[in-house]
Order: sequence, then C-alpha cells, then structure tokens
Amino acid sequence: MKLFAVCAVAGLIVSLAGSTLAHDENKTDKPGEKIERSLPVDSQATVTLCVASGTLTVHGWDKNEIRVRSTDAAQIEFRRIDKIKDTTKPAARVDVMVMDKTASVKPRFDCQAVASVEMEVPVGATVQVQTRDGDIEIVGVSAAYAGSQNGDITIERATKLVEAGSIGGSIALRNSSGRVNLSSAGGGIEVINVRSATDEDTFEVGTVSGDIQLEHVGIPKVLAKTVNGTVTMSGPLAKAGNYVFNNVTGDVVLELPHDASFQLNAKVSEKHNIVSDFPLKYLNEPPPPPAKPKSSPEVPPVPAYVLRRVTAICGSGDASITVASFGGTVRLKKI
Amino acid sequence: MTRCLDEAKLQSYFDGELPIEQMESVTSHLASCTNCAATARELEEESALVMNALAAEFDASVPTERLRQRIDGAVLGDRLAVARSSERTRGFFSGLLNFGTQRMLGYASLIVMLAFAAIFAVVKMKSTPAPAPAPPEVAKLTPPATGNVDDKKAATPVALNGSSNKTETPVKPVAGRTFRTVAYNRPSAPAPKPSPVKLMPGERSYLQTIAKLDSTIQSNKKSMRPALQVEYERNLAVVDRAIAATRSAAKSNPNDPDAADFMFAAYQSKVDLLNTIADARVGGGRGH
Repeated sequence: MKLFAVCAVAGLIVSLAGSTLAHDENKTDKPGEKIERSLPVDSQATVTLCVASGTLTVHGWDKNEIRVRSTDAAQIEFRRIDKIKDTTKPAARVDVMVMDKTASVKPRFDCQAVASVEMEVPVGATVQVQTRDGDIEIVGVSAAYAGSQNGDITIERATKLVEAGSIGGSIALRNSSGRVNLSSAGGGIEVINVRSATDEDTFEVGTVSGDIQLEHVGIPKVLAKTVNGTVTMSGPLAKAGNYVFNNVTGDVVLELPHDASFQLNAKVSEKHNIVSDFPLKYLNEPPPPPAKPKSSPEVPPVPAYVLRRVTAICGSGDASITVASFGGTVRLKKI
Repeated sequence: MTRCLDEAKLQSYFDGELPIEQMESVTSHLASCTNCAATARELEEESALVMNALAAEFDASVPTERLRQRIDGAVLGDRLAVARSSERTRGFFSGLLNFGTQRMLGYASLIVMLAFAAIFAVVKMKSTPAPAPAPPEVAKLTPPATGNVDDKKAATPVALNGSSNKTETPVKPVAGRTFRTVAYNRPSAPAPKPSPVKLMPGERSYLQTIAKLDSTIQSNKKSMRPALQVEYERNLAVVDRAIAATRSAAKSNPNDPDAADFMFAAYQSKVDLLNTIADARVGGGRGH
C-alpha cells in the first residue's frame, strides 16, 4: 500500500512537471534553437527593431517580406502599426518585438531584450534599429536610422537617407547616396564614396572627440564639425559645392585633386598656419602682425588670442570651402 | 575641473559682493561646471522668487528721518523714565540704609543667601559650554540706515517694513541666547561695489539650457551605466575645455564676432552632447 502511494505521488509530480514544460514550450521557443519569423510587407515598409544589447544585422533583399532570425531570443513577434488597419494588404509599418530568454516570467518586449538579431527587409524599406551595447550593420536598404550607445555602426549601400548616432562607438558609411547625418560623441566617423540622390541632399557629420574622415563625398553641401578631432577630406570637390569644416582643436586636412578649383574662407588662430600645396591667390590683405603689448615688470602680459582671416582663391573658385578652426592647422594637399 | 563653488560664494556672486577678479573666475567656472551651473540656477530662481514676493516692500520708500526721530524719541523717553524711577528708588533706599539690629540680621542673612546663589551660578556657568561665535548672517541682517534702494536688497525684508514697531529684528538664537539687532545704525560710507560681470549676449540662454539638461541627466545619474558615464564624462571634459578656451578668447576680443562664434559653437557642442546623453538615458524606446 505504501509503495503504491509513493509511486502515485511520484507519478503525479512527474506529470505536473511535464505539463509545465509543455506549456513553456508553447509560449517560447526552446533555448539554443534559432528562431525565425517572417511576414509579408510592403516594398517600402518601415521596420523597427530595438534591443537592449546584442548585434543587429539588417540586409536588404528582393522580396516583399521581412525575415527575422535570432539564436538568443526566446520569442520574436511582429506588431503591425499601420495607420490604416487593413489586414488584407501587406504591412507598411512593422515593429519587430524580441523577447530574450531571461524574460520568461514577465515579457520584456520593449527594447529590453538581450539578443543578437539578423533581419532581411525589402530593398526599398526604411529601417530603424537601435541597440544599447551591440554593433549595428545595415546593408542595402532605402533609408537607415541607426542608434547605439557604445557599439559601432556600419552602413552600406543605403540609397535615400542615412541617420546614425552613437555615443562611444564609431560610424562607417560606405557606397551610399542621399541625405546623410552622422554623429558620434567619442567615436570616429568614416565615410567613403557617398553621393547625392536629390538636389536637396545634405551631408552633416559631427563628433566631440572623434576624428572625421571623408573620402569621395559627392554631395555638394557638406558640413563636418568636431570639438577635438581631426577632419580629413579627400577626393574631388563637387562643382559649386559648399564645404564647411568647424573644429576647436585639431587639424583640418583637405586632400584635393591637383586641378581643384575653390575659394577658401578660413578663420584660424594666428598661432596656427594654413599650409597649402595649391597656389592661393589671397583676396584680402594678410592682417598685420599683432602689436606687442607693452609689458610692465609688475603685470605680466596676457597672451591675447588673435584670429586670422584668410580669403583666397584657387583656380576659378568653383567650390566654396569654409574652415573655422580655433586652434588647429589647415592643410591643403594635392593628391 | 576645479573645485565646485560653495553656496555662500554663489550667493555673493549673485549679490554682486565679490571682487571683480573673483566674479570673473566664478563666471568662467559656471560656464564650464554643470553642477555649479545647476546650483546657481536654483539659487537664482530662489532669489527671483523672494525678490518678486517682496517687491512691494522693496519699492516702498523707507522713512529714514521720521523713523530716526521716532527712535530717538523712544530712546529719550526711556532715559527719562529711568531717571524718574531712579529718583523714586533713591527715597526708598535712604529708608533702607537706616540700620537697626533686626534689620542688620536680615541683611546678613540676605547677603549669605546671595553669596550662595552667586557660587551656584558660577558653578553652573562653568559647566555650560561656551556659546558658539555668531554666524556671519547676524551682521548681514542689520539693514542700512540710508534709504538706498540697492542697499536694501542686502538687508532682511522684515527690517525694511515701514512700521517703526518692526525696527528691531529678531535673529535666530545662538547657543541658547537671543540677540536682537537694532535696525537703526549711523549712516556709514557705502562700500565700493564691484560692477557685476556681464555675460556675453546669448551666453546666458546657453547656460540655462545646459543647466536644465544637466539637471535632467543628474536626476537619474545613478542608473547610468558605467560605460555610458565614462564616455559622457570624457567628452564633457573635452567640451568644457573648449568652452573655457574659446570664452577666454571671446573675452579678450569683445568686438570680434568670430571669436564669439567659436565660443557659441563650443556651447552648442555641449548642448548637443547633453541632449544626446539625456536622450540615451530617458529614451531606449522606438522612435516612431
């Protein structure tokens, strides 16, 4: 009788445990397995993806469908946020909801998951991705909005628009077109081979302490500013282009073709030079050297900051280059 | 970053009581120290609140001559009263000084009792701690005798009420004693007041914006992750150095708008940085 009772209790425990596990399996996917979800969407859909930590990889493809995969996530869901609720049509706006494995008790969908995610979207899609600690890679989409606090951001082959921001990470943009706005506090920014998609496109990059490196930027309106970084731009200037470079400390280095034609308006410290490989024709007279303050033995002379303004032209002056550097050197190099 | 300013110094700064060189250093420090800028903003707001609330009292003219006459009259009245009472007590004491045997015994016992009381009082005084020195506010609470409107701001508002009944200002008791400062003083030569440092046009709005953003960040700084905090502090230091350098240049070239432009660009960089950090802290959601 006792043996029967023990067996019955043990059996009851095992059956209860089994039913609980089955219930969890229905709710979330098995740990360690790759989860994959897909959804038909509009060819120009807007897709958002947001996690707390993890690498986000987005690739454009020639299907009107989004596919999301993750090995770290416990659950992936899509939330349609179309303004017009018509389920017969493919989704135009979709939030990708990722829940990680630590959130089995209370789901943490809203950007709290710790999971790396890969996603394919239509090439005409606009993607908004955000992670706190991980890196972001976006390739081959129409418009890309990317944000990371400490991770690096790499974007390639965006066709219409790129906006990316990082606090500690670097940003790289390659082989893209359209309006560009990149900012990083402590990381560097590297842009290679970017051109405009429309006449209204602008190009703005900014850092606090990171360097800015621009190579073959074909957008005619360029603004690059940094507080304590070096700005380097190499490649041909757009005809009638307008290039503005601002920094406080750090040099501005422009590596231009030997036949470059531009007008230079520079404001630099008297203590720093404008070093040019190009023959510059100065349009304003060089300012006279600052008068030496009369020093008295009692009061030591205070070194005054003297600003030097230079307006010069090279060739026919097609493009306009404006440089304001509080404490850096301006170098114009031939390539 | 230099050491943060204490509240007394900030108050003196806003009251225009610091020497010119200190005013400049405080202004420069406020431009580069977000903590102090936030404290300064709070202090300024509090001062503005008090000034608004007491604007009516400040605007009212103080009847100095009339007040002085009334006080003189009151003091004279007191003296006359004391003189009259001393006349009265003189007659009383002449009777008392008429010694007899019983009266002698009575006086002797009274003297013994007084001696005991004196000894007891001395012992008690030695056991109690010495009173702490009066704080500087005591001196500050004495209002000026002249009706100079600017000087009124340094005085306590209670003493500036036109009623003569309020010419005595009660001051907080110090170590068990209660002092009362009299509002009437002899007119003294006004101390030369340093001219306040003028911020450059537009600079104040930047400082206010920075202070607001900084308070947003500081309000929940504990939950800021170390990596973000390190990056924030590092870049903040970079921007603060840039502001200090460009501000110095702008000050030495007050007529050069380009020099000021560098300073404002540095301020704008700080605003951008603080905005980014604040967004990173309060955000985390999807940006639809």
